[in-house]
Amino acid sequence: MPEPRRRRLEMRDVVHVYEGKTATRALDGVSLDVHDNEFLAIVGPVGSGKTTLVRIVAGFLRPTSGVVLCDGAPVTGPGPERGYVFQEEAIFPWMSVRDNLGFGLLAKGVVASEREKIVAELVRLIGLEGYEGAYPKELSGGMSKMVEVARVLATDPAILLLDEPFGLLDAQTRSKMQDQLSLLWEEKRKTVILVTHDVEEAIYLADRVVVFTPRPGRIKVEVTVDLPRPRSLETRFSPAFLALKRSIWKEIGRA
Amino acid sequence: MNGLWRRRLWRALLSLGVLAVLYGIASQIGSALLPRRIWMVAHYIEDVELLPPYASLLEEAVFLVKSGILPRSILVSTARVLEGLALGAAVGVPLGLSMARVARLEWLLDPWVTFFRFTPALALLPLYALWFGLGELSKILLIATAVAVVTLLGAYQGVRDVPRVYLEAAKSLGASDGLILRKIVWPAALPQILSSVRIALGLAWVTVVVAELIKATMPSLGYLLALAGAYPRVSTIAVGIVTIGVLVLACDAAALGLYAMATRWMKRSPADA
Amino acid sequence: MRLDDAARPPKARRVWLGLASVVALVAAYTLLSNAYRVVDPSLLPDPLRGLLRPQILPPTQRIVDAFVQLVGAGAPLAGGADLHPGDHIGGLVEQRVTLQGSLLVSTYRVLIGLAVGGSLGILAGLLMGWSRAVDEYVHPIYILFRSVPPLALITYVMLWLGHGTAHLLIPIIYAVFATVVIPTYHGVRDVADVYVKAARALGAGGRLLLSRVMLPAASPFVLAGLRYALVIAWMTTVGVEMLMGDDGVGYLLIGGGLWSSRLEVAGDPAVIVVGIVGLALVGYAMDVGVRVAGDRLTQWVKR
Ligand SMILES: Nc1ncnc2c1ncn2[C@@H]1O[C@H](COP(=O)(O)OP(=O)(O)OP(=O)(O)O)[C@@H](O)[C@H]1O
Ligand SMILES: [Mg+2]
Repeated sequence: MPEPRRRRLEMRDVVHVYEGKTATRALDGVSLDVHDNEFLAIVGPVGSGKTTLVRIVAGFLRPTSGVVLCDGAPVTGPGPERGYVFQEEAIFPWMSVRDNLGFGLLAKGVVASEREKIVAELVRLIGLEGYEGAYPKELSGGMSKMVEVARVLATDPAILLLDEPFGLLDAQTRSKMQDQLSLLWEEKRKTVILVTHDVEEAIYLADRVVVFTPRPGRIKVEVTVDLPRPRSLETRFSPAFLALKRSIWKEIGRA
Repeated sequence: MNGLWRRRLWRALLSLGVLAVLYGIASQIGSALLPRRIWMVAHYIEDVELLPPYASLLEEAVFLVKSGILPRSILVSTARVLEGLALGAAVGVPLGLSMARVARLEWLLDPWVTFFRFTPALALLPLYALWFGLGELSKILLIATAVAVVTLLGAYQGVRDVPRVYLEAAKSLGASDGLILRKIVWPAALPQILSSVRIALGLAWVTVVVAELIKATMPSLGYLLALAGAYPRVSTIAVGIVTIGVLVLACDAAALGLYAMATRWMKRSPADA
Repeated sequence: MRLDDAARPPKARRVWLGLASVVALVAAYTLLSNAYRVVDPSLLPDPLRGLLRPQILPPTQRIVDAFVQLVGAGAPLAGGADLHPGDHIGGLVEQRVTLQGSLLVSTYRVLIGLAVGGSLGILAGLLMGWSRAVDEYVHPIYILFRSVPPLALITYVMLWLGHGTAHLLIPIIYAVFATVVIPTYHGVRDVADVYVKAARALGAGGRLLLSRVMLPAASPFVLAGLRYALVIAWMTTVGVEMLMGDDGVGYLLIGGGLWSSRLEVAGDPAVIVVGIVGLALVGYAMDVGVRVAGDRLTQWVKR
């Protein structure tokens, strides 16, 4: 339950227009606060600007107008305190799994022995023991996505931006990863923004679900999820869960 | 898989064997039918074997090896190629990398790169001979110029083709520019750099054959060819050509091996040959 | 590649900077090459003393003069400078060699090389990519031949064909051929193969398959190969002309002479520079031509 209500991320009237042959208005005035230790999920139709918003928060895009504040200071560029898992494949194919996982630590200047320890722990977390020395070409799409998530977790960022991290996983692994993420969040209390197409995943993990309108993206509705934690398989079948699911689907379905 | 390679090897040997036998037959027929007196520009040349039989090729090869001419020529020419390659790549690769990273540098150098790209390196030969003398320096610099242009373009394109997502991922993991250059840009561009080195190596051999005609002092493959052509002695020319062919092939195989080693991480390395 | 592409200044800046760098270098060269008029070179330290001579670094105006003379075939100069039939430029003018004429001859050789060598190379590449058996029998022979630098062949070719037109062309054709085979081969084998399988499944076969599926799918690779072959063709052309030609830019650069001792005669750097600039311009123009033609031909590959 999100008790401390300090604002970690503040988005004020964020508008983004992609210039080009045909200017695309991707975001049309999004205002959103994410509190410290809050788990926020964003769902919305394809092309509704979810990735655009996350990239703005991550610092890779400048909003056309509006501001994004992180801990009260405007975001000017990417930084390791905002760990970002890309929607597309971003695992470095020329590095072994071990080197991929350790890259953030290397960038931070963590000594080799310490790095090894953390990497070993992460390998265990994602269940890739025995693959430490493998190149990503030997991994399945889902496995490399997990490496990407773990790579971001390695440096223990305060904020996690996850853009459809589990889209490629099978149902079982996906639910396992969801539980891992849930556990991790409860243990380390990070601030998380999770973009997903999976409403169930959003409700299961988040404190709050934001539904986007079709392009140009705007917030259609916010739903607070007050299901008790820790959540489990039982949660997924509880009447409260199903009621939330129904109400979100209704919002999505409404034109 | 194994059977497939066996068949390939078998067929390769078969076709090369047939070629060799055909040449043997042609040289026999040729020695009877082809003219041995040839009109060259101003005079006749006597005793020409246009298709020298294996016996005289072997005899010539043995002579060239025993007298030390061929081994020394090989060493001299190979050394020039490698020195030119090293020098050219040492200039071309860093320049290409920095042009791809620094827009201002790219714009400043762009007209000159375009200029050199379309100037056949051999055209610089008389100029270099004038500037750097008729010795070793002008030959190596000529090879280096050809190599530098090719590797510069390879390195530049290699860096430009690095997918943006890797750079962004590294950045958001907190990597500094130096680390990004070492751990992201360099390994991602390396395959293209190495294929440009492979092309450059081929060009270097083309260049050296001609460059060695300047004030040629005996041992070198280009000079061997020129001298043999001046007599002319076809068997010497043939041994020279075969030697160069083998060296080019060996260099190419080495470059290919290096490429394969450096791209083990790639999903499917672009095929053989 | 750069993180913030939007932050790049507009294209005009790019042209401007490029122009500025050309002008700056030409100006710097002009100053340097005229320094011998002001400073007595014999007073300078060693590497500079050798360099700052008009015979080594021709002053810019001498290059312009050489250009005018080579284009006008010896039209009297405004400055009234005299020609010596013995030197490089005088010899050329005496033989009525012009820059544009030489470029034309060389271009003609390059084009023949591209036409003949290119079509043979594409044919061989198609066959090798098309049929595994052909590939396995022919590829080793191809590799054997490809490894021989074309210019190494010239003396041998001359014995067969005599000193005429053809023996200059053969190395060029050969060079283009060897260059074009591999890209075509990979285009057909690696890329077109997928489409060929799909088209076969749809019942297409024979000629239709070749003309509608294989050639179009392989054509971007063939064009890339041709673009590179253009560079190789120019290289070879200049090479053969320098070694054995009686005309063309290679001949202009060397200024003739007995072929075995050709490269030992010191040329006039002004002529060489004019020739090189001409080569670069024509090479560039031809590359643009191939690219434009190629874009037309491959419009269907919208990526
Ligand atoms: N780099 C770009 N240049 C131009 N337009 C873009 C760019 N990236 C995205 N867009 C456009 O902006 C809109 C929003 O894109 P965005 O990627 O943010 O959508 P999304 O909600 O993440 O979609 P999805 O669920 O498919 O990932 C789309 O219409 C897209 O076409
Ligand atoms: Mg998206």
